[in-house]
Amino acid sequence: MKTPKIRFDKVTKRYGELTVLDSLDLDIAPGEVVAVIGPSGSGKTTVLRVLMTLERINEGVIWIDGEPMNRMRQGDALVPASQAHVRKLRSKIGMVFQSFNLFPHMTVLGNCIEAPIHSLGLPRAEAEARAEGLLAKVGLADKRNHYPSQLSGGQQQRVAIARALAMQPEILLFDEPTSALDPEMVGEVLEVIRELARTHSYTMLLVTHQMGFAREVADRVCFFEGGKFVEQGEPNAFFTQPQSPRAAQFLSKVLQAG
Amino acid sequence: MNTVRISALVGAIAFLVGLAFATFSELKVFLPALLKGLVVTLQVAGLSFVLFLFCSLLAALGRTSANLALRFAAGIYVEIFRGTSLLVQLFWLFFVLPEFGVVLTPMTAAVLGMGLNFGAYGAEVVRGAILSVPRGQTEACIALNMPEWKRLFRIVLPQAFAIMVPGMTNLTIELVKATAMVSAVTLVDITSAAVKQNLIHYRTVEIFLITMLLYYCLCQVVRYGSKLLEVRVSRYRGALN
Amino acid sequence: MNWDWTFAIHTVMPRLLSGIITTIEVTILAFLLAVLLGLPLMLLRVGKNRSISVIVGEIVEFLRSTPLLVQIFFLFYLLPEVGITLPPFATGVLAIGVYYAALCSEVFRAGFEAVPRGQWEACTALNLGRYRTMRDVIIPQMLPPIVPSLGNYLIVIFKETPLLSFVAVAEMMQAAKLIGAEFYRFSEAITLTGLLFLILSLICAALVRWVEFIVNRRIYR
Ligand SMILES: Nc1ncnc2c1ncn2[C@@H]1O[C@H](COP(=O)(O)OP(=O)(O)O)[C@@H](O)[C@H]1O
Ligand SMILES: [Mg+2]
Repeated sequence: MKTPKIRFDKVTKRYGELTVLDSLDLDIAPGEVVAVIGPSGSGKTTVLRVLMTLERINEGVIWIDGEPMNRMRQGDALVPASQAHVRKLRSKIGMVFQSFNLFPHMTVLGNCIEAPIHSLGLPRAEAEARAEGLLAKVGLADKRNHYPSQLSGGQQQRVAIARALAMQPEILLFDEPTSALDPEMVGEVLEVIRELARTHSYTMLLVTHQMGFAREVADRVCFFEGGKFVEQGEPNAFFTQPQSPRAAQFLSKVLQAG
Repeated sequence: MNTVRISALVGAIAFLVGLAFATFSELKVFLPALLKGLVVTLQVAGLSFVLFLFCSLLAALGRTSANLALRFAAGIYVEIFRGTSLLVQLFWLFFVLPEFGVVLTPMTAAVLGMGLNFGAYGAEVVRGAILSVPRGQTEACIALNMPEWKRLFRIVLPQAFAIMVPGMTNLTIELVKATAMVSAVTLVDITSAAVKQNLIHYRTVEIFLITMLLYYCLCQVVRYGSKLLEVRVSRYRGALN
Repeated sequence: MNWDWTFAIHTVMPRLLSGIITTIEVTILAFLLAVLLGLPLMLLRVGKNRSISVIVGEIVEFLRSTPLLVQIFFLFYLLPEVGITLPPFATGVLAIGVYYAALCSEVFRAGFEAVPRGQWEACTALNLGRYRTMRDVIIPQMLPPIVPSLGNYLIVIFKETPLLSFVAVAEMMQAAKLIGAEFYRFSEAITLTGLLFLILSLICAALVRWVEFIVNRRIYR
């Protein structure tokens, strides 16, 4: 088998007494689109945050392209990773937050060129050209000089996606990208993500409560609960015939509500 | 916005009236001395303002740093300078330090004392502003792989700046008023000039009213400048209209 | 190095300690004056009469925009000229008290405006008079949120008392200055003055936090 793009190897994350990730294993192949679903408060966000190195893990190793991320090789042993090592691997990952986290003091264009210039060292002109292409792609070319506070939630989230793409990551993480939005704006954001999944080879990890959307774009659905993936499978099979009672119970609740 | 304009205007007019009053009466004898004092006051205020900003930022960065030793040192600095009086600190710099072999000129002692003292208060304002920048901003920077110092200088501090303007303005006004104490280190500022002139001419009401008007105008200028700045730095906020 | 322990303990400390008494007296009296004068100032400010409220507002702004030291000098020279002879101590308390009354009135006003409109409307509905409404309903509610600011002013007043050494009130700083003038050495007197201020203001801050705690507990049980 090819090396997985992302591998969680017995990853454990605790907040004090609370074990949120319990010796978690997960392999994601290059280009695979994985949807993570599960009850809220179960730790789905935490899966993405430890991968983005926003949280330190207590045990285990996370591998990116066969390279350990929170550790690094020294001879045969794995030692704690240096800042430089983390930064190198982190550059392959982009993240879209539930609450956008746009920089409010910068224009839309400013948001999209900030990191390419100041983290990749791109010349300004090149960064702007890249950003304008991406803004056109998410349908916001005409908003380049607006501030985030002048945009609707859906537009802000599309800017956030363009900003993440501007770093040319190989892996994209989405943490409930539509759950802070008014219902009528959900569609425009999902459309952008759908387009990305269809026309690009990003490896995507998508936490969502939009079951229909997960079923449509994902290659695999993982049901997360109690610090583990209780069940994984091909979307159609998972949604029509969940194997575990917990997943079945969750699905019936969500589908009833929706 | 409007009230500031009006206040500044009222202040300026009042000052001009006072000036005319003073020039066209026998009182013009003490005005030159007061204006000479004003120059000293402006010098002390300007220089210590710069030092005040510098100390505030440095100490606030220390207090929010991950390094325990830095945090501790900055904390001690803030506690000591906020816990004792500015006047005591001025005396200490000017009269005690020479006994340990460090001789400061009156101007240096005044600027150093005021800058360090207000820097300790400013550090708390800047720190509060830094802490009030949402955590998501830092996380977005990490996700975009930005180096730590760029995170600070390009994302966190610019947003904190908009938040700290009102607090720092109040401190600046306090600083302008506190320059009145620098006669403690033998500088002859407006206040000290006023006292001296009053001992000569016995024109208490006129001399002190003009002195107070001068300070009032200085404070209004600071308020007005800060309003302009506030509009500029927070343009991005609630820019919907 | 220039530090003499015997001098510090036997000569400096006793004089500073007698200065402390004056410092504390000034602090407490000026603070009381500020609070007692600040409340009526605030009432004038929020009152129905627009012109009075504007005038009082401008006076407060003027007091806030001029140095306390200048106001102290002004009173110190003015009062005798108009035939009022007060000891420097009383003049000092008066000057500090009036200055901080202006600041306190702003704090009171903020607290006053933070009381929800519904409280006034409820009082009208219950047919309470204006005085009763203020005394029994509004003031008790506006006090707890402003206790921290008032406490803070107490500490600030304490740290401003050395200003009175400019008009020769025998507080701690003045004691230190006199020692310096008498013995031609400043290290011990001024350093110890600083230390005493540091210790007292830390104690003061702890006290204020304690009062805050008590007030909040009693009101919002
Ligand atoms: N910084 C933190 N400190 C303590 N507990 C946390 C922290 N972040 C998350 N948690 C807890 O971890 C659990 C998982 O959180 P999260 O990953 O956000 O869940 P989900 O995204 O599935 O709703 C929750 O119970 C939450 O309370
Ligand atoms: Mg979540």
